[in-house]
Amino acid sequence: MMSDRVLGGVGLALAVFYAWAATIIPEPFSSDAIGPDGFPMIIALVLGLSSVYFVLKPDPEPQWPSLNRLAEIGFALLVMFGYAQVLPVLGFVFATIIITAYLTWRLGARPLTAILNGVGTSVGLFVLFELIFGLSLADGPLGF
Amino acid sequence: MIKTTLAGGAIAAALAVTAPFAASAQEFTPDQPECIAPAAAGGGWDFTCRQVARIMRETDLIDGSMRVQNLSGGGGGVAYAEVVNKRNDENDLIVAASTATATRLAQGAYPGNTMDQVRWLGTIGADYGVIGVRPDSEIEDLPGLMSALEEDPRSISIGGGSASGGWDHLKVLIAAQEAGIEDLRAIKYVAFAGGGEAISQLLAGSLQAYSGDLSEAMGFVESGDLRVLAVLAPERLEGDFSEFPTAAEQGLDVVGANWRGFYGPGEMSDEAYDWWVGQLDTMYASEEWKAVMEQNGLADLDLHGDEFNEFVAESVSDIEEISREIGLVQ
Amino acid sequence: MDTFASLYEGFAVALTWQNLLLALLGCFLGTMMGALPGLGPANGVAILIPLAFTFGLSAIAALILLTSVYYGAMYGGRISSILLNIPGDEPAMMTCLDGYPMAQAGRAGEALALSGVASFVGAFFATWGLVFLAPLLVQIALLFGPGEYFVLYTLAFATLGGIAATNQAKSAFAAALGIGIAMIGVDTQTGVQRFTFGEVHLYDGIDFLIAIVGLFALSEVFVFLEHRGSREQGKDEAKMKIGRVTPSLSVLRYCTPAMIRSTVLGFISGVLPGAGASLGSFLAYSVEKQVSDPRSETFGKGDPRGVAAPEAGNNAASGGALVPMLALGVPGSGTTAVLLAVLLTLNIQPGPLLFQNNPDVVWGLIAALFIGNFMLLALNIPMVGLFTRVLLVPTHILMPIVAMIAFIGIYSITGSTFELTMMVLFGALGWILRKLDVPLVPIILGILLGNEMEVNLRRAMTISNGEWTTLFDSWLAIILWTIAIVGFVLPIFLGKRVKRKMKEAEEEGPLSD
Repeated sequence: MMSDRVLGGVGLALAVFYAWAATIIPEPFSSDAIGPDGFPMIIALVLGLSSVYFVLKPDPEPQWPSLNRLAEIGFALLVMFGYAQVLPVLGFVFATIIITAYLTWRLGARPLTAILNGVGTSVGLFVLFELIFGLSLADGPLGF
Repeated sequence: MIKTTLAGGAIAAALAVTAPFAASAQEFTPDQPECIAPAAAGGGWDFTCRQVARIMRETDLIDGSMRVQNLSGGGGGVAYAEVVNKRNDENDLIVAASTATATRLAQGAYPGNTMDQVRWLGTIGADYGVIGVRPDSEIEDLPGLMSALEEDPRSISIGGGSASGGWDHLKVLIAAQEAGIEDLRAIKYVAFAGGGEAISQLLAGSLQAYSGDLSEAMGFVESGDLRVLAVLAPERLEGDFSEFPTAAEQGLDVVGANWRGFYGPGEMSDEAYDWWVGQLDTMYASEEWKAVMEQNGLADLDLHGDEFNEFVAESVSDIEEISREIGLVQ
Repeated sequence: MDTFASLYEGFAVALTWQNLLLALLGCFLGTMMGALPGLGPANGVAILIPLAFTFGLSAIAALILLTSVYYGAMYGGRISSILLNIPGDEPAMMTCLDGYPMAQAGRAGEALALSGVASFVGAFFATWGLVFLAPLLVQIALLFGPGEYFVLYTLAFATLGGIAATNQAKSAFAAALGIGIAMIGVDTQTGVQRFTFGEVHLYDGIDFLIAIVGLFALSEVFVFLEHRGSREQGKDEAKMKIGRVTPSLSVLRYCTPAMIRSTVLGFISGVLPGAGASLGSFLAYSVEKQVSDPRSETFGKGDPRGVAAPEAGNNAASGGALVPMLALGVPGSGTTAVLLAVLLTLNIQPGPLLFQNNPDVVWGLIAALFIGNFMLLALNIPMVGLFTRVLLVPTHILMPIVAMIAFIGIYSITGSTFELTMMVLFGALGWILRKLDVPLVPIILGILLGNEMEVNLRRAMTISNGEWTTLFDSWLAIILWTIAIVGFVLPIFLGKRVKRKMKEAEEEGPLSD
């Protein structure tokens, strides 16, 4: 119950924010009948109305994970953000070994398996994408 | 008085003085040549990179192959900023560009970046603008379209493949300005995702006129579904295209060329710059490239090195002036 | 007959050993590209273009290779939908809805084989449609002005309610969220920035691939992290069996009407430029659900018809999308846009004269489509057993690999870490929304179709000088409006009846679950 009400609240805030952001769209050189802000306003309205509905008629509460599970997810999220940042610095192969090994480990594998999976995934995907498909992945200091 | 021939002088000059660039003995060769396509795989810039990489490899202008790196975002602005901020002194790097790049630079759509932050290498061809109508249209010629627009702009919708304020739109506005139309804002331009889509809406009867590039219009002209009012070239084109009147001979001095080419990082060494310019020049002259140009409907526009730099500078300042005059930018 | 003679010529051109090998290679690579989340058919074709040039192929040979990739990717997308609940590409999104439940029920092999057959049926008949109806269909496509397109997209959103039957408000919320995301970037009709807040990376908008990979693939990783170690999950996995690897004749017969309906619908959606395969699979699924299962008793829980319909639909649409591409030079989807570029490089100008000027190419291409199609069927059915081996890989090994494929797929086509960060955000959002029972399909549909819907409305308004009546002034528009209204009202009405029935049942005794 509570979760849906929170969703409704967040959705309502989002709708208001969206509508506000639509009002600050700069005035175009020549505008059509609807303009760049007309359709977004309608969308904000739908977003807002459906959010009000959640507040008034919430669904039963979902089963949220325990705190340490939440922390697990939060930490995985941080690792993924980190991966996006260090990819151009470390290069594809090393960055990918680290994140794959981490995720494998956290999903329940033993450390050795995790490292092996990291190396295997990283090298395998490098061969597939960079060497076979000819795409360019991020270069590290060693050129891969 | 504003100059409405968009870099027309530069094009004419280039056509007159086709100075062959002497590929003199140079020390520089790139270790890892790389071409950035400032859009996702599959777009026009991506195509420019991949085609040039292919021809350069086939004609042995580069050892091995040139990597093509896609770097999309901001209509090319992300790649531009990346080159200026992070890769400013690299010698192995070139980036695909086109009239769209110049238009966005002129309209300030790459925030904080200007055209003189990079070194402009050369063109690989151009696509001239076309303004057309349905064959059964009552409009006979370009001045006819302009006077119809002046009388009742509400009755005519013009479609094109670029966003509002983009190249296909600008061509119409420039012509209208040249024709002395006062209220440019009243002209109805309808943006489509591509020229083909605009033409099919012209055929479907939703639009009354079309503004685009010759290459995308060709098939419909041949089949008799589209009548060309004017080609926006400095003089009549060759071969099959010679039947189309230019805007200039109808009294509207408008030239619009959508060029394709490359720039390199701003601090690229002179040796590297000369090398890339020389390779592009040699490639341009090759039979293989002539075939690619013909296949893609590209017309001749052979500008390399300093000439190209001047050309871009001039076209950026022209577009800027016109965009301001019209009210597209403040 | 003339058409058959031309087709025969086409086969004569296409049927050489070299071309057959190329078709096989293309089908295989395409299936892989399609199955990898993050690489769609459009990117697949774009990426493999250099390969065609590296081999120095002739125009026909290059076309055969690349169209095989195109069809292959359309087949491949379903594999990860069914096995992992992660669509390999956007048209395969609808296949998750019943494909994954089938896999969970131990019918993965059957679902894969059935969807392979459905894909074949869709693509096969769409290719025949291309052969006989192309000139006629162009006329239909030309009936659609901006106003009619707007109504068509409205129709797609109106029928959303029929899919997620649980909570209509949540469907509406999700669709609005998707359309809202689609609005980000340069407004093509006026050239001004919207919702970008000065961030250059947002100027081009948010690529739907980023959203789909984040929402589906990464959120799946979070779901597994959440349940790691809990006993139930372990049991579920142990139960996950492959089942038979060929569909029984009775299932095929059971699904035949669904396939036929979906092929027709998908093909028509494909013919309309801009709508494409995603709309094809979406409409096929939602219509099939309303026809076969209006009370939501089996769809969404592993009904084979829910697998057959979207697969027949999206493959028929990919055949249909070739009609405007070849005959008008107008790409109906991202993939056909890339194919169009390929044709141009090969010195072939698509457009009204293509059939006259380059008959060898057109008929060679059509022959190539038939060949690729049979090859894909032949390749896919025996390989079902191989694909399903994926399920035997332990989750803790498989999920990180899938996540990394998602990352690389996005990075290799955009080259930007900003996009990766966005994707992770979508992953987190996807997990939260799944918890809250907000359906993800409408979000993707909104991102895919939102812009087209808005832009066509505004085009229509510009052309009509602001007259709203333009949205109702053709018979086609009125038909589409009627279908949209029926599609919107019917599920609400039926939903009420179902709820009442359920209540009655509850009063009579507890529902066995």
